[in-house]
Order: sequence, then C-alpha cells, then structure tokens
Amino acid sequence: MTRSLASILNALGLCAIALVLAVAFAAQLLLDELPCPLCLLQRIQFAMLAVGPILNVRFGPRPSHYAVSLFAAIAGAAFAARQVLLHIMPGDPGYGSALLGYHYYSWAFIGFAVAILALAAILLFDGQFRDDGKQPAGAFARAAVWLMIALTALNVVSTLLECGFGACPDNPLAYELLKRAP
Amino acid sequence: MEFTALFLAVTVVMVVAWWGTRTLALALFAATLLASIATYLHHASDVLKLSF
Repeated sequence: MTRSLASILNALGLCAIALVLAVAFAAQLLLDELPCPLCLLQRIQFAMLAVGPILNVRFGPRPSHYAVSLFAAIAGAAFAARQVLLHIMPGDPGYGSALLGYHYYSWAFIGFAVAILALAAILLFDGQFRDDGKQPAGAFARAAVWLMIALTALNVVSTLLECGFGACPDNPLAYELLKRAP
Repeated sequence: MEFTALFLAVTVVMVVAWWGTRTLALALFAATLLASIATYLHHASDVLKLSF
C-alpha cells in the first residue's frame, strides 16, 4: 500500500466518522432525543477517533497515529459496553429510540469494534510507512478533515445548549440554555 | 459543562493536528483522553442491575 492510497483510506475513514456524528445529530434534531452523558462521551470518543486520520493526512501515515485512534476506539467501546450493560436486563426499554433494531449505544459498540478491526488491518501494510516524497494530503482529504472539525465544533454548541453551564442531567429532556425563565 | 469542555478540547486537538506541531497534538490528545476517562469514571456511579 502506498502513502497516497493510505491517505485516501484515512480520508474515507474521516468521512465514515463524520457520517456517524451526522446520524447522531439527525436523531437528536429530528426525533428530539437529547443525548445522555454516556451518549455524549461516546460521541466524544468518535470525534477523538478522527485525530489519528487527521495526523496521517497531514504528516503521512505513522504507526503512532493509528495508535492514537486505537486508544480512542478502545475507550469508546468500553463506554458503549457500559451503557449496553445498564440496559441489558429483560424488560428494560433502553435509552432513546432504536435504529434498525439497535439503540445508539449498541451501534456505537459495533462501530468502535469495527474501528479496532480496521485499524489492526491497515497496520498490516508496511509499505505506507515508507516515505516516497509525495504530498499526502489531496483536496478530498483536506475537505474530509474540515468536515470533521466542523461537525465536532457543532457538537460544542449543541452540548452547551443542552447542558448549559452546570452538570448535564442524566436524562435530559430539554435544552438548558433554551428554557424560558418563569 | 464538562462535556462541552471535552468537545471543545477535541476540536482544539484536531485544529492543532491540522495546523500545529505533531508533538503538541499528541500531548493534547493524551490529556483529552485522560480527561474523558476521568469524566466517565465520575459519571459511572449507577449500579449495574446484573445477576449471574
């Protein structure tokens, strides 16, 4: 695998992470379901998963950049597993709506597990780590990076509106900063 | 508030990874990861209703 191909694959990875955050945003806005604290932590780990590909696009692929994403994916999988276990008892309706039969945290666990497998698979290709002197970042990769940064910045605004300046409620029902004073 | 701060921190890490130095980006990433794990441990106080 060449550095250029690895850069394209990293940009595609960024698009996949952006899609996950966009779907979560769509569920939040269209279904009016606010993310709980654990849900927010999983979103944060998805965003952190993107730091490795951004470094790969900017500086070229390095094993340490993939390690960065592995740390985020393992932490995210642990957070998602915790929430799955919280709702695993028979009769528990779970938190929020199900999407294609699974709740968001179940999909998140699957997503992090897939990310760990994908990272292990791409690390098998040593050819990407040999410097061929080419500029790794193309226009598509640069656009993917900026899409990811924009989506994460949108989450800053959304979370501030939801939680306000205090502790975020365990079961948020309304945006704290949009509540009208009585 | 802590989640807003974490999202802001990740945004800063991304911007540094794209524009700044690699070392600073990796250091900020490590700090943000530790902060998110600390936030998780702070919130993971609900008892798991499991029985085996």
